[in-house]
Amino acid sequence: MTCEDFRVRLTAFSLGELEQTELLAAREHVAACSHCASQLLLDRQLTALLRASTVPLPLQTREAVRGALRAERLRAEAEAEQSLRKGPGRPAASSRRPTRRRHWIALAAAMLACAAVVAASLLVVPAPDPGSPLAAAWGSYHAKGQDGLGTPDDATAERLFAVLGPAARTPDLAGFGLQKQGWEARDLAGHLAAVAEYRDDAGGRVTLMRWRGELPRVAKAPDGSGLKAYRWGRHVSYWWRADSIVWCLIGTIDQDQLYKIAGHLGGES
Amino acid sequence: MDLEGFEAAAVPHMNALYDAAIRLAGDQATAQDLTQETFLRALRSFGTFEPGTNCRAWLLRIQYNLFCTQYRRGRRMPLVWLDDGEADPTLELPSHEPGPEEQTVRELDREAVRRAIARLPEDFRMAVILVDINGLSCAEAATVMDVPRGTILSRLHRARRRLEAMLLPELGRVQADDL
Repeated sequence: MTCEDFRVRLTAFSLGELEQTELLAAREHVAACSHCASQLLLDRQLTALLRASTVPLPLQTREAVRGALRAERLRAEAEAEQSLRKGPGRPAASSRRPTRRRHWIALAAAMLACAAVVAASLLVVPAPDPGSPLAAAWGSYHAKGQDGLGTPDDATAERLFAVLGPAARTPDLAGFGLQKQGWEARDLAGHLAAVAEYRDDAGGRVTLMRWRGELPRVAKAPDGSGLKAYRWGRHVSYWWRADSIVWCLIGTIDQDQLYKIAGHLGGES
Repeated sequence: MDLEGFEAAAVPHMNALYDAAIRLAGDQATAQDLTQETFLRALRSFGTFEPGTNCRAWLLRIQYNLFCTQYRRGRRMPLVWLDDGEADPTLELPSHEPGPEEQTVRELDREAVRRAIARLPEDFRMAVILVDINGLSCAEAATVMDVPRGTILSRLHRARRRLEAMLLPELGRVQADDL
């Protein structure tokens, strides 16, 4: 084996990936050639450096991943329980998340199909289960009243982004005449939610909440698609789910305007 | 859902998955997202994992597919840039305790090595991540990247030669007990 032969096989040799005959020839060559022996040493020094260059895992990442795994287990257990209740004849709902495109198509279809119904009146649905994120969202919306929100500290913001990803960003709704008042993290029945508050010039209030989880099953859109609507007194809300994140928009502003915002955010989320 | 089995088999590889994620994605927030999503997908499909095979390779394959299909195209919006934060105290530490000066030099070396790896083309970088950093065999790496084993060897060879050229000063400081 020549030095050139050895040079092109250096990596395979040091990884033990050479065939037997080539391996023996390479061993013989490196034992007799100081230049190639030093090249082999350099290669070993390099791999030692590479092995030592690992990036430490931040604590918050470990916690975020473990939290997401716990949430996934709870979700799967709830789904299995629901499936049992439905009986053996009906398959459990798919956990496969919709693609962005499918979601957008579903939302667009929902908007068209719902338009007439929504314009007249919102769905009449039973009260949400106490302890569900839906009930907690409504509860926290009313509890907060007209108080504006501040800005979460860095650690909380970091956790929100870790759990929700891009959905944690507070969307700009200035195009709909709404000004941001603040945002915060909120615990909704054990779900970490990002909550943003908006006001319009007339004093109308809009709250946007997002958390990782399932869409509550208290209401169904007329066409069975993802967009859901709910009303509590003069407060109207729209719900949808995209990329495993539940979005909830509640407000006192004009119903049609809120519906447009839901369509706008649904297209983005 | 066998969360306990998953905890035992997959969760110990979280450090390696995050390390690979940050080298692929380039920033901490996206790396965290990618790691989290990889583990969620792995948990959902844990039934397809064959016990006795290399779990880290299985996880890295899920992560690499996810990166290629969802993250590489820049579909993710940029997130807030975060500080490094506190490192995990459960991480393995070197067996000896070097003095402060040596630690500083080593940290500088590590940083230089990370930067050099980051400058490699993505295919070369991934081969280095899989084989040189995570200890996968060329055959396992070939499965992860869905390319022939010979392609992995060729990419590794070219990557190492480039890294050697970039890291000559640091190579001189590698000690015998590191090899």
